[in-house]
Amino acid sequence: MIDIQAIRPEVILALFAILVPAVGLLVARFFKGTSISKVCAAFSLVGVGLAFLDAFMFVYNNDAGVYFVGGLLKLDQFSSLFMMIFLGVAFYVILASARFIQEDKHQPEFYSLIMIATVGMMVVASSTDLITMFVGIEMTSISSYALVAFRKRDAKGAESAVKYFIIGGLSSGLTLFGISLLYGVAHTTSFAGIGQVVTMNSPMQSVIFLALALTVAGLGFKVAIVPFHMWAPDVYEGAPTTVTAMLAAGSKKMGFVALFKLLLIGLFAIRANWEMMIGIVAIVTMTVGNLAAISQTNIKRMLAYSSIAQAGYILISVAVGTQYALSAGIMQIMTHAFMKGGAFIIVATLATVAVGESINNYKGLAKRAPFIAFGMMIMMFSLAGIPPLAGFFSKFVLFSSPIQQSAVAGSEWMVWLAVAGIINSAISLYYYLRIVKYMYVDEPEEGTSTEKLKLPKSMVAAVAICVFMVILIGVWPDPFFNAAKQAAAAFFA
Amino acid sequence: MLENVPVITLLILIPLIGAMIAFLLGKHPKASKIVALVFSAIPLAISVILLSEFSLNIGTFQYVESYSWISSLGISYTVGADGISIVMVFLTALLSFLAILFSWDVEERTHQYMGLMLVLEVGVMGVFTSMDYFLFYVFWEVVLIPMYFLIAVWGGPRRSYASIKFFIYTHIASLVMLLGILALYFEAESHLGYATFNMQAIASVSGQFGQLFQIVVFGALFFGFIVKMPMVPFHTWLPDAHVEAPTAGSVLLAGLLLKMGAYGIIRICLPTLPYAANQYQIVMIIIAIVSILYGAVMCLAQKDLKKMVAYSSISHMGIVMLGIATLGQLGITAAVFQMFAHGLITAVLFMICGIVGHHVGTRNMPRLGGLAAKMPYMAVFMMIGFMASLGLPGMVGFLAEFSVFTATFEAFGWLLLLPIISVALTAAYYIWAMQKTLFGPLTKEVDVEHIHDLTWFEAAPLVVLTGLIVLFGMLPGLIFDYITPSVKLLTAVVFGGA
Repeated sequence: MIDIQAIRPEVILALFAILVPAVGLLVARFFKGTSISKVCAAFSLVGVGLAFLDAFMFVYNNDAGVYFVGGLLKLDQFSSLFMMIFLGVAFYVILASARFIQEDKHQPEFYSLIMIATVGMMVVASSTDLITMFVGIEMTSISSYALVAFRKRDAKGAESAVKYFIIGGLSSGLTLFGISLLYGVAHTTSFAGIGQVVTMNSPMQSVIFLALALTVAGLGFKVAIVPFHMWAPDVYEGAPTTVTAMLAAGSKKMGFVALFKLLLIGLFAIRANWEMMIGIVAIVTMTVGNLAAISQTNIKRMLAYSSIAQAGYILISVAVGTQYALSAGIMQIMTHAFMKGGAFIIVATLATVAVGESINNYKGLAKRAPFIAFGMMIMMFSLAGIPPLAGFFSKFVLFSSPIQQSAVAGSEWMVWLAVAGIINSAISLYYYLRIVKYMYVDEPEEGTSTEKLKLPKSMVAAVAICVFMVILIGVWPDPFFNAAKQAAAAFFA
Repeated sequence: MLENVPVITLLILIPLIGAMIAFLLGKHPKASKIVALVFSAIPLAISVILLSEFSLNIGTFQYVESYSWISSLGISYTVGADGISIVMVFLTALLSFLAILFSWDVEERTHQYMGLMLVLEVGVMGVFTSMDYFLFYVFWEVVLIPMYFLIAVWGGPRRSYASIKFFIYTHIASLVMLLGILALYFEAESHLGYATFNMQAIASVSGQFGQLFQIVVFGALFFGFIVKMPMVPFHTWLPDAHVEAPTAGSVLLAGLLLKMGAYGIIRICLPTLPYAANQYQIVMIIIAIVSILYGAVMCLAQKDLKKMVAYSSISHMGIVMLGIATLGQLGITAAVFQMFAHGLITAVLFMICGIVGHHVGTRNMPRLGGLAAKMPYMAVFMMIGFMASLGLPGMVGFLAEFSVFTATFEAFGWLLLLPIISVALTAAYYIWAMQKTLFGPLTKEVDVEHIHDLTWFEAAPLVVLTGLIVLFGMLPGLIFDYITPSVKLLTAVVFGGA
């Protein structure tokens, strides 16, 4: 029997994704003069909202997990929470894009692609099998290649799209090779099945190790961990900024979901082989990201490197690998989705009123756009981990997890993960604080007018959603952390 | 009268509301000043009522409020005040109010300035009343942001460097402290059987903590606190921050923020990690004495009046540390009294520095001289402030230092000779500074024609502060009565009533 509930959120969203171009056509045909972008965005928001509601009701009713066709996909507390995160990101990205792409061609397709990419992320979230996971990843990746290249006449955008496509193809190839090796060893592609077969005593350890290295490398490109991170700043810089927000807040997090499933379920029994390696990669990733971010002068590149650093923080939860650590990792993913996505949306908003991407253009912004500057300050302080904002709380639980685990014999080294995280937080404060200083302390650059900027309302609304969430999660984290804890419990159930 | 009122929450909430109103009054700078004054006057009034209603002789926390906040991690909003806190709360309310009054002539971005002053008050008030580690840490960090902006926007020429140095330096210290707090949390959970960030609950199982664990965690927390105090060799952010900060910012920085570090050691390190406290005693003595002497010697070398006062703060906070290092009831009581005394005195000194810098145009002592003729009232207050700071009997500073030194002698005997050198040094640098600025022939290096004496909003805070300095110097019991029972309780629990 096919239980449709297990894939209902995906189905809803996919339906809307298919219908959006038709809506665009109808508007173009019968309602000349109406903004196609706005109508399509509104239509897409309805779809995202419905899918969100469906996932939310599942979490709210605290339902037991549901399998789809014999267990290729499973809707449970874990996947539904991630669906909500991805849909939340899609919501504010679409809201901000309504005005952002108003001058571009092919607007309905833009929304369609965003929603298909989101469906892919949702499939990854609920996948219980390597094959469904891979299909989900590819759905998202291929849609994002097109989204990055959306402004095809923009040389920078086209260049970054090509780069993204080549790197994406390579990483998919690596992942697939690893998957095929795992299948050869385990005779199954389901995570749980692999988890039972692959142990420290199973034969062909070297093949398993190779498979581990290949899949981690392949997924490592997706989440941009060092040394697979080079593409991220270029692509984040070149892509249309609302798409960048989705890449950083959405599709990158999809990579983490895949890593969670692969390492914490599939290869959990051989964790002694990878926990130290992942720990070292985590430390290197956060350090490289933060140090490189300091010297950036383009705000999108700076935020890209900061994303790399944040990926290093999230990796801590993989290395520690306890249920508490996983809930901390989920918490960090949740807050990062709003603070980093929000920061990119702010950059996009300012771009519509001709404020450039150089950080010098942000000097004196507090006078020209008080609310946006306030929002950016909140995002920067939250990313730096200053209480009482969301980023502080998630870092707080994230850094506490290795300390908790270090009390266990054999895991004493994990305390250094927390120490490294803390040192990196201190480093990162420098470049976050610089943006705040530019906006609030410095005077605008010569030649720029000091008049108040007129910002598009829909984009300001998207920023407001992110600011609200960052403050709400910071001040009242209880329900969010409980949801993350339940998700982690369902994950390990 | 205050039985059913959430007083402590009001103390935190009222300045916060005031700050929000002030931030919104961008077009009405005058109104924002009045709002700030009113919303800092109310906590002052509440704290005075609180002092009068406070039950002496009990020593435990009073007016405790507790609400579950983040139940999934055992975090609660728990605030309350014991004798140590209540004195600090009064100091916070008093100095915030006076600093806002003193800033009456701020012209640039007035509403933001006033809002930030109030946010600062919220943070400091929260630190002194939190009974939950998470809450404590949140307030501890909240303090940084307004102080950063106060220095970065309204500061002197090198404000950009000084403000970022201040923020990052103290933020690193806080993060190290956070590691210690997290370790305490998990360790206590394994002994208590439930997860909590409540300070008293965690302290109640302190006897079961392992020795190595205590030493490591004490190190982390202690580092966080001594950077804030600041103690040599982690003091370098302080002179920079003070020299560049606006006057009222300096008053609050020296008067309140430094006290947070000492308060943290007394409130957290000693009762929670008593074994380690004994082990660290020698470290505390050394950094205390080094800070006292180094601060005093550095004062002798300064040309900038304000930098001299900044270094004198390091020296005087060293005396606080020395009192704590005795690990005895008298020493810690005296340390808290010294914190209070230094808060009052240093506020006067920084206000004087601000007035000299503002009215004369320079604080560089070699370029000053004979100011007593032009600014007689300022000269009077400067002398009172300097005398109080160097420990003239009859003023609050004398009693504080005297009792710390008595406790030191009781605990360590003739080791006292080392820190007591600083008394002579202190007298030397203050008297020299006075000679160079107030007396002698009137300086010719600056335009002395337009120098005028104190304005009303400068004089009023100075009158209040010097009045209190003399009052509490004559009647120290007024303050000791609050501190002693609480310290007695604290040392009884920790060191078996030393």
